[in-house]
Amino acid sequence: MKKVPLDIIVMVKQVPDSQEVVIDPVTMNLNRSLTRNVTNRADENALEVALSLRDKAGGTVTVISMGPPQAETTMYECMARGADRAILVSDRFFGGADTYPTGLTLASTISKIGKFDVVVAGEESSDSSTGHVGPGVAEFLNIDQITYCSHVDYKDRHVIAERELEDGTEVVKTPTPVLVTVLLNSNFPRRQTLRRKIDAMKKGFEVWNLEKLGLPPEWVGVRGSPTIVRRMRSIKEKERAAKKFDLSNLGNLVSELYEKNILKLEED
Amino acid sequence: MSEFDAIVVGAGPAGSSAAIKMANAGLKVLLVERGDPPGTKNVSGGILWGKDLSQIIPDWEKTAPLERFVERKVTSFLTADSEISIDFKTLKFSTDRTGYAVLRTRLDQYLSKKASQAGATVITGITVDSLHMENGKVLGVVNEEDTITSDCVILAEGANPRVAIKAGLRQPPGDDDVALGIKQVYKLPEATINERYNLRGNAGFAGEYVLSFLEDDVYAGGFLYTNKDSISAGVVVSLSKLRENGKTRSFDIMEKFVSHPFISRLLEGGQIQEYSAHLVYEGGYSTMAKLYGNGYMIAGDAAGFSFSNGMVIEGMNYAIASGIMAGEAAIQAKKEGDFSDQSLSRYGRMLEESYAIKDKKTFRGIEKVTWSPLVHRIIPRIAENSMMKLFNETGEPKDHVVRILLDSAFDQGISKSDLLIQGYRLMRRM
Repeated sequence: MKKVPLDIIVMVKQVPDSQEVVIDPVTMNLNRSLTRNVTNRADENALEVALSLRDKAGGTVTVISMGPPQAETTMYECMARGADRAILVSDRFFGGADTYPTGLTLASTISKIGKFDVVVAGEESSDSSTGHVGPGVAEFLNIDQITYCSHVDYKDRHVIAERELEDGTEVVKTPTPVLVTVLLNSNFPRRQTLRRKIDAMKKGFEVWNLEKLGLPPEWVGVRGSPTIVRRMRSIKEKERAAKKFDLSNLGNLVSELYEKNILKLEED
Repeated sequence: MSEFDAIVVGAGPAGSSAAIKMANAGLKVLLVERGDPPGTKNVSGGILWGKDLSQIIPDWEKTAPLERFVERKVTSFLTADSEISIDFKTLKFSTDRTGYAVLRTRLDQYLSKKASQAGATVITGITVDSLHMENGKVLGVVNEEDTITSDCVILAEGANPRVAIKAGLRQPPGDDDVALGIKQVYKLPEATINERYNLRGNAGFAGEYVLSFLEDDVYAGGFLYTNKDSISAGVVVSLSKLRENGKTRSFDIMEKFVSHPFISRLLEGGQIQEYSAHLVYEGGYSTMAKLYGNGYMIAGDAAGFSFSNGMVIEGMNYAIASGIMAGEAAIQAKKEGDFSDQSLSRYGRMLEESYAIKDKKTFRGIEKVTWSPLVHRIIPRIAENSMMKLFNETGEPKDHVVRILLDSAFDQGISKSDLLIQGYRLMRRM
């Protein structure tokens, strides 16, 4: 059978390194000045899915991201992992967007690219954890979607994906074009290589602005966002109860746990 | 035809300085750094001494992310109950600035950006696996499956130079060659720091401490440096002593330093922002191997260019100086189209003429003294004992000061002749 090459689009986001996130106690916002920016880890898993599909079927992998200019490091990183092309959608008009205009902006970027068979996204971003954007883009593009995938395969113009559910897994087969969202840690992203990164720096990535997408300014960014954050508050961590027990008298511990209904005795 | 004139491994002060120097001269330079961004894998106490940077970045004192200049320099012996210090402050330092506190994540990013602006290709987040060599000549670097070729490679990969070791160009560092540095950065308001350390404006404090209160024969030095709105605190622990001892854990020494009564009050209320650890090159001149050969040069910590003896810790200045010299040698080699051992021996000669090697020669063997019981145990005890006798009013008639000193030594079980011999050795090495 003739091999049909796949055109794959991966949606990625640059996020503050979650291990370093600090909340400013005064403003309650993320203090981004202290943290370094990294590629959202689930998106790295998404890129790996795209690259392995390309390994199998041939074709192209294009990475797209909406974000500020400093997201360039993420664009280069994705190219150094193996993406053929990277487009950063960046414009001050896009600032302050919630998940609705973000989905719209990315969907219109994909439409502008034109031909595609599969769109891959991470399940959610580590800095806002909504999981909205992937499904939102599928709706805007009016294509099928398979969410929370732990494994994605391709055969004869169909994507076969394994979905992780609460009580098990389900395998779904959907004809292309289709959007899949990929679970965090569901694979091992290949490493960046020096050769590919040098080539990426030489080749560069594309920056698309609002004009290029041709969207009305009131549809994007903060103006296009229906969500209003009314209030933020930090959660005070409760002091955990601790109690000392003598090792030589563990019976006390057992009986106390039993009385508090934490420990159950096997019924006779 | 090589893809690059030079590949620099490591974007710390040595590597970035070499890259800036070469790129400014029009060489085609690739600078590769495993940290992303540069500086995230690097640790140093945090005082940049000297003015070597002026050679490649004339306006660095205005544009670099400098925290504070050193106005007050303290060298102390810390015993369990006492601190005996030389506390040197001078207004002269405010016009003739010699040391600056820096934070490496900021400084290293600044330097690598300068390299990029000068025209070098700066690649971050990638580890060079090994050197590409043929017939003993270095012809490039290898990463994963790929070889990137260059006329020469400058290895500036830090205190544990894995690429140089793998290629047989350096010996793996032994316990006597390296110490373990541990560092914490405490966030404190600028006003609090100024008040606590008696500072104004962007003047800063640099303190180095001999931790003679440690038990179990473990030797360590401590340091405190003021940044704009944080304090860098850390310890440098002798690895050989740590290994001999076997039961002391390095981070306990850090804890003991920062919870010493006279140190903890300088850090009080500070929130820990960073915790890091790194090897510190300690070995003297004798441990320095040949630093160049066919198609390669070694600079910075990878070449053993740092200087630490529990009292003064320097490294970034040597790194910058050696990086610039390696860059200069590569520029000359490029002009002549000759990157052989013979041509790059220019680097060796420049080093020999520089303070980097001269310091190493002057202080040859100093690590044997500064990591000795004399400095870490005997002197602090004598000093404490003498001070107590000098300042403590007991109602008894006072002794002559020399008498007090000698008696204090005797109290510590040290004979006069032994003290003289040890003291002479110390003076000779210093």
